[in-house]
Amino acid sequence: MINLTINGKAIQAPEGSTILEAARANGIDIPTLCYDKAVEIYGACGLCVVEAEGIPKLLRSCSAKCTEGMVVNTESDRVVQSRKIAMELLMSAHDGDCVAPCQLNCPARTDCQGYVGLIANGEYDAALKLIKNKIPLPASIGRVCPHPCEKACRRKNVEEPINIAQLKAFAANIDLDKDDSYLPECQESSGKKVAIIGGGPAGLTAAYYLTIMGHEVTVYDMMEKMGGMLRYGIPQYRLPKEVLDKEIAIIEKAGVKLVNNVKLGKDFTIESLKAENDAVIVAVGAWKSSSMRTPGEDLEGVYGGIDFLRAVIKGNPPEIGERVAICGGGNTAMDACRTAVRLGAKEVYVIYRRTRNEMPADKLEIDEAEEEGVIYKFLTNPISFNGEDGKLKSVTLQIMELGEPDASGRRKPVPVEGKTEEIALDSVILAIGQKLVQGDVSELKLNERGNIEADPDFFTTSIDGVFAIGDATNRGASIAIEAIGEADRCAKAVDAYLNGQKLDTRVPYISKRDESTIDYSDRKEQSRINPKVLPADVRNKNFDEVSLGFTEEEAQAEASRCLECGCREYYKCKLLNVAQRYDIDPSRFKGEIPQKYTHDENAFIERNTSKCILCGLCVRSCREVMDIHAIGLMGRGFKTDVSPAFSLPLDQTKCNNCGLCVQLCPTGSLTEKANLKKQVPLDEQYTEEFVDINGTQASVLVSRYNGKVLRVIPNDEVSRNANLSREELQAKLQ
Amino acid sequence: MRIVIGQGSCGIAAGAEKVRSALLKQNISAPISITGCIGMCYLEPIVDIYDDDKLVRLVKVSESDAPAIADYIRTGDREKISALIVTDEDSEFLSKQTRIALRNCGIINPEKIEEYIAKDGYTALRSCLTEKTPEEVIDVIKTSGLAGRGGAGFPTWFKWNAARQSEGEEKYLICNADEGDPGAFMDRAVIESDPHNLIEGMLIGAYAIGAKHAVVYVRAEYPLAIKRLKNALEQAREKGIIGNNIFGTDFSCDFMIKAGAGAFVCGEETALIESLEGHRGMPRLKPPFPAQSGFWRKPSNINNVETFANVAWIINNGGEAFAAMGTEGSKGTKVFAVTGKVKRSGLVEIPMGKTLRDVIFDIGGGMKTDKPFKAVQMGGPSGGCIPADLIDTVIDYKALGATGAIMGSGGMVVMDESTCMVGMAKFFLDFTAKESCGKCIHCRIGTKRMLEMLERITKGEGKEGDIELLEELCYSIKDGALCGLGQTAPNPVLTTIKYFRDEYEAHIKDKKCPAGECSDLIEYTINADKCRGCTLCARNCPVNAITGAVKQPHVIDTDKCIKCGKCYSVCRFDAVIKA
Repeated sequence: MINLTINGKAIQAPEGSTILEAARANGIDIPTLCYDKAVEIYGACGLCVVEAEGIPKLLRSCSAKCTEGMVVNTESDRVVQSRKIAMELLMSAHDGDCVAPCQLNCPARTDCQGYVGLIANGEYDAALKLIKNKIPLPASIGRVCPHPCEKACRRKNVEEPINIAQLKAFAANIDLDKDDSYLPECQESSGKKVAIIGGGPAGLTAAYYLTIMGHEVTVYDMMEKMGGMLRYGIPQYRLPKEVLDKEIAIIEKAGVKLVNNVKLGKDFTIESLKAENDAVIVAVGAWKSSSMRTPGEDLEGVYGGIDFLRAVIKGNPPEIGERVAICGGGNTAMDACRTAVRLGAKEVYVIYRRTRNEMPADKLEIDEAEEEGVIYKFLTNPISFNGEDGKLKSVTLQIMELGEPDASGRRKPVPVEGKTEEIALDSVILAIGQKLVQGDVSELKLNERGNIEADPDFFTTSIDGVFAIGDATNRGASIAIEAIGEADRCAKAVDAYLNGQKLDTRVPYISKRDESTIDYSDRKEQSRINPKVLPADVRNKNFDEVSLGFTEEEAQAEASRCLECGCREYYKCKLLNVAQRYDIDPSRFKGEIPQKYTHDENAFIERNTSKCILCGLCVRSCREVMDIHAIGLMGRGFKTDVSPAFSLPLDQTKCNNCGLCVQLCPTGSLTEKANLKKQVPLDEQYTEEFVDINGTQASVLVSRYNGKVLRVIPNDEVSRNANLSREELQAKLQ
Repeated sequence: MRIVIGQGSCGIAAGAEKVRSALLKQNISAPISITGCIGMCYLEPIVDIYDDDKLVRLVKVSESDAPAIADYIRTGDREKISALIVTDEDSEFLSKQTRIALRNCGIINPEKIEEYIAKDGYTALRSCLTEKTPEEVIDVIKTSGLAGRGGAGFPTWFKWNAARQSEGEEKYLICNADEGDPGAFMDRAVIESDPHNLIEGMLIGAYAIGAKHAVVYVRAEYPLAIKRLKNALEQAREKGIIGNNIFGTDFSCDFMIKAGAGAFVCGEETALIESLEGHRGMPRLKPPFPAQSGFWRKPSNINNVETFANVAWIINNGGEAFAAMGTEGSKGTKVFAVTGKVKRSGLVEIPMGKTLRDVIFDIGGGMKTDKPFKAVQMGGPSGGCIPADLIDTVIDYKALGATGAIMGSGGMVVMDESTCMVGMAKFFLDFTAKESCGKCIHCRIGTKRMLEMLERITKGEGKEGDIELLEELCYSIKDGALCGLGQTAPNPVLTTIKYFRDEYEAHIKDKKCPAGECSDLIEYTINADKCRGCTLCARNCPVNAITGAVKQPHVIDTDKCIKCGKCYSVCRFDAVIKA
């Protein structure tokens, strides 16, 4: 035995062992990307470098042998710097997306590609579970979300984005219609209590995830029923309250205690809740309509947008008369105008100071409202509401035109001197925003915008143990999925807090492709499918749900359009794992990408050269272990790549599909197709099983997901040399 | 009288073959033979006329000079050839050298073993085989202080001894003749001009380490060298100098030539071995070192051509004689391939301990033009530049290393003030990036990223912080690259930053190239006061960017101008301004 010291720890290693072997045998992890016991030592990646006292050069620990008395440091500054630069260089040349842009653009980081892909395969239960990892109210959110995911969807560069939101609603509907809707398993009780003020999307989400983590959670809400703005701010025709009720019932069934008709400041205070709980989350929302500061706003017949919607939902709509104008261009304005139509108003105007193109509301909403008879008054701005005897009679509009782009990039509306228009009106609805009711949260420190000041990473407030999320905080009201994303992260922060820790909020590095370099010319156009809707002349007379939802056939066809941007090897990518260990910034070395995206596949294996890091494991294992030589290294320097002989497609080589190269590939350059119609990145678990091959028990690796066998991969000499197809191997599984 | 024509690659490229045919047609009584590279490449083709021991050397000879030469042979009248006779000044190029490795180059006929033998050839081998044990041979080499001439400067005896000590019956002695540095050609010259000297050195080495197999790995781009080496091996085999029981002793050794397909990295010994075995030329991890596990995983010793070229001389003259030349740490002589903006270019062999000034100014004759000396790039793409104020640096492994450059294989590219140092670094980086084998991350991607940064800088797109980022990357590549190619690739960048940082800053901050070489950063204009309106520039402009009436000042349309510099070079009145 040899005695040496690694990172200050005295270690004994057998004669002839390398530093890497000695370190790993003693629980000291040294990263590698080109090393595997199956093949000869190669030394390409250089990540295994270590420093040894008295040796001026860095040593590649995969090959350097232990010597008596050696003093090794595997994490010195010099070592870390060398690995960091190696990873920065490697990632600067790695052309791949770890996760899809839809997921990255979702404020809640919902795995859109995952559930869309599962829906394409008809795996609805698995899709629902994936969604519920991030959204506890998917049927509701699927219906109402302005879907930032779809804005990022790359399919738009082919024709139109995937209908991600409606697919979510589709999977969620199936689950809701079942008697045994999905219920997550909760962790063992922690004995800790959490009170949440506000039962909107933020409060309910935080409650759901904290309950799963084993905490005892009670949600307090001032209204008769839970749901917050989802219930009281969104009209029935968009989100039937029966759907919301069912989703809230599941949250309750998961173990969340729901208490309604209690109001902060009246029935309890933050301090009083804090005294009885280990943590408090304030998620009270923003319930006050914003003013336009236009003369005449105090006239009878002028309503706030959310006040109006709430009154309608509660069953006591105000008298709006026959001629109604809605000020604003967002989704609340759309909700208000379409509700006004349904209440029987004859002329419904939407007053918006820019044009249709600049409207923040969802395009579909804008179109559907128009179909229902809404009249748009673009490039107009109210300068006064005029009344008689305190009652609204008309509005005077300033005619606008578009000027130079402003800070947001949208062209700024400017008044056209002297041009005005007057419209006779019975009522006006101001749908231009909403604000926190400050008096309710007087115990907490507010920011200069008048919202609760909460730490953007940890959600802490001016009171220890009190956290705040959602519309009531920081920048004010936003969309529900934003609140849900905050609630999910807040639940983790509170869980850490309850365990006496602080949440690690560092955003781990991931690789992203340069959008401008992606070529879509090989993609066939395939139009986006929208669910069927009620005819305009039917729906404008009632509050029935407008969307009829996807049929199964439509959902699968729509989901199949997904371009599969995210990497299928994301969950087991060694490259990403090492990249995230170091604080890397590959943009420092931004430059040419060596390999263009080339796709090559045979029956089981897919190759994508643009992700290859040239560790050589595939080439070496094919040569050294299998003696097949189906692939080799081609070209020199930066242009080196792995290619089948004579650059032929893989299926014209001697490849026998043993799959060893895929198993050893540290990243997503080589993947093995799963037993799925559409391939999906999934967090698969592999187990070793044995199959009978000509009387020998041969080892195979089996991946099962949600009970389904996704892959069977040969795992020893016998199974690799059997030349059996994956179907044949799978048939041999017990 | 006899006529000898320099027929190394340099001479043939300059037209020596045509001169020879023309002379043959003259029916001269004197025999006409050939020799290899004489060393004064800038004066080729060279015709040496020996009258007993007296030598008349004719330079820059052309076919049309043949009658005059024939006349001289017949009559002894020098008048018609007086313009061809080498000047005393040019003669100093050779007379100031001390030639050991090149001792027979340009003197003997490389295609005739008898001429080598006549110069005491193979006596060293005979004495080793018949009078010395292998250990005694290694001792002589140890005494001589001979170090690897391929670049790294590792003591030769140590490598020989390690291979000798390595267990195993089967051992290999390999000669690295993959001379890939741009600007280096001393190995080619040795093989083309004195192949038996190499063979003898290798046989002595093979005897010392106990190898029965010798391999010459020579780049395929050296066809003449391969041809002459093959020829020499055949002649040696006929004489029983290679093969079984050499000189009747127990020692047997076979030879093999492998023509390398042309990759710089195959000059790295483990990559060379991979290539020899028929694999892609990529370096192996060390350890194990070739002395333990090399060609076919057998103990192997690899030395460079020039190293072997010294061995026979050392055996014949004794280790002490060799060690008497040079400095404390660097013994014997070193051959340099001097090129670039120097007046006299060619092969220069001088004792260690001389200075760069001795090579560039004393022997090389200084600058070709009136522009002052700026720097010299030593050691090719793996080396670094040494600026004018370090011209008195002594030729010694340590002293050269201290400047940031290396001795290397002996390439010396001399630059004057018209060379942009950022552009020079870019040139070498372009070479190493292309020649990277692609195996390790630091070299494959790192050199490419450095090159991209240098390209940006020379295009005027450099940004604040680029120099620091370059330096960070350089040090990291030196630390992390797998083999010598990558580890030394940053040297040209690091040394140019070290000595010419202001030039980098001028490119980045002022978007100017002080040397006026980076075409994206210069502009040509015409000084109206100096312009006489001769129209020469306008007539030469390939894109018609220059306009003006006769005898009126001309104007360059800078939008049209492609910055070819033609106007600048043709103007007779210095009216074109490059800035």
